[in-house]
Amino acid sequence: MVKLRARCIVVGDAAVGKSALSHMFCSDGSHFQKNYSMTAGVELLVKSVNIPETSDSVELYIFDSAGRETFVEACEKMWGQPSVVCVVFEISSLDSFNSCSRWLERVRAQCNGLQLLGVLVGNKSDLASRREVETTVAQEWAQEQGLQYLETSAKEMESCDAPFLSLAQAFYALYQDRRQMIQRLG
Amino acid sequence: MLNTALSSFGAQVVLVTSSDENHPPESMIDGNTETFWLSTGMFPQEFIIRFPDNMKISVISIDSSNIKQLRIEKSTQEDEKFDLMAEKEFEHIEGGLQTNEIPVDGSNATQLRFLILSGYDHFVSVHRVGIQA
Ligand SMILES: Nc1nc2c(ncn2[C@@H]2O[C@H](COP(=O)(O)OP(=O)(O)OP(=O)(O)O)[C@@H](O)[C@H]2O)c(=O)[nH]1
Ligand SMILES: [Mg+2]
Repeated sequence: MVKLRARCIVVGDAAVGKSALSHMFCSDGSHFQKNYSMTAGVELLVKSVNIPETSDSVELYIFDSAGRETFVEACEKMWGQPSVVCVVFEISSLDSFNSCSRWLERVRAQCNGLQLLGVLVGNKSDLASRREVETTVAQEWAQEQGLQYLETSAKEMESCDAPFLSLAQAFYALYQDRRQMIQRLG
Repeated sequence: MLNTALSSFGAQVVLVTSSDENHPPESMIDGNTETFWLSTGMFPQEFIIRFPDNMKISVISIDSSNIKQLRIEKSTQEDEKFDLMAEKEFEHIEGGLQTNEIPVDGSNATQLRFLILSGYDHFVSVHRVGIQA
């Protein structure tokens, strides 16, 4: 049995639904907040994810970060050395998608050269009638950046857990890989 | 003496911030570089080794992988505070173990605290800790 720990940094433009997603995941879908309450700085949430077919788990330290530019510097100081990243935009805003590369760079800059596993999340999939970002476009960019692409709706409780479960499993796979590499060194 | 298992003269690992059943902390003090303790994510990581008596230590050796910045502190009694002994940045070794011998001032210590502040990967391993007393 092993319990891994990962710093999961959640970034993206203001009001795309980062806090909604983080809270839905951590409260097991029991709580969607309809009214917007801006995150000032970083809110830390912790949740343990069991890895299927093992007795192992990954404890995610979720750093739900502010999207407002005013808070960026303060957020960067809180992140420490990130393990994984979750970059969020909303499918109904092309601007929020175009910001994703800037957000990714900011997190990468804190990594001291360590590999950064990540997912790109297109949230608010319930607003399909106002879609500004095509799935294939997002998918293509994600692939270029080595990220996995997922669409979610915190409002409809659609796939909210998927980004976090995917990150936990990727981090677990990385651990197993490194463990085997180190085993050969002794 | 650097290669002697610390456990053979009663040393114990009394604190560790990561634990994988397959890689228990005792692996660091069994004198064998094939067994190792492995960190399980996030920095800093820490472990404390306690000796049965006060030891006059002149060199600390560490076989490891992926460690970047390491700080070693000592205390002379169980409840006493820790004082800085050495701080070092290890070189990155690709495909092999990092082997470092760190000279220290020869003062007394009953506990050594190792703080791994950063790494060359998300996970670091410690295969053997030895001392020259
Ligand atoms: N329609 C719809 N609205 C959503 C969804 N997710 C979040 N919202 C709404 O979008 C608004 C902003 O959500 P937040 O989660 O606070 O956004 P944020 O990204 O954390 O914003 P900052 O903290 O300012 O960076 C709120 O009014 C939410 O109710 C969704 O999937 N669909
Ligand atoms: Mg927020």
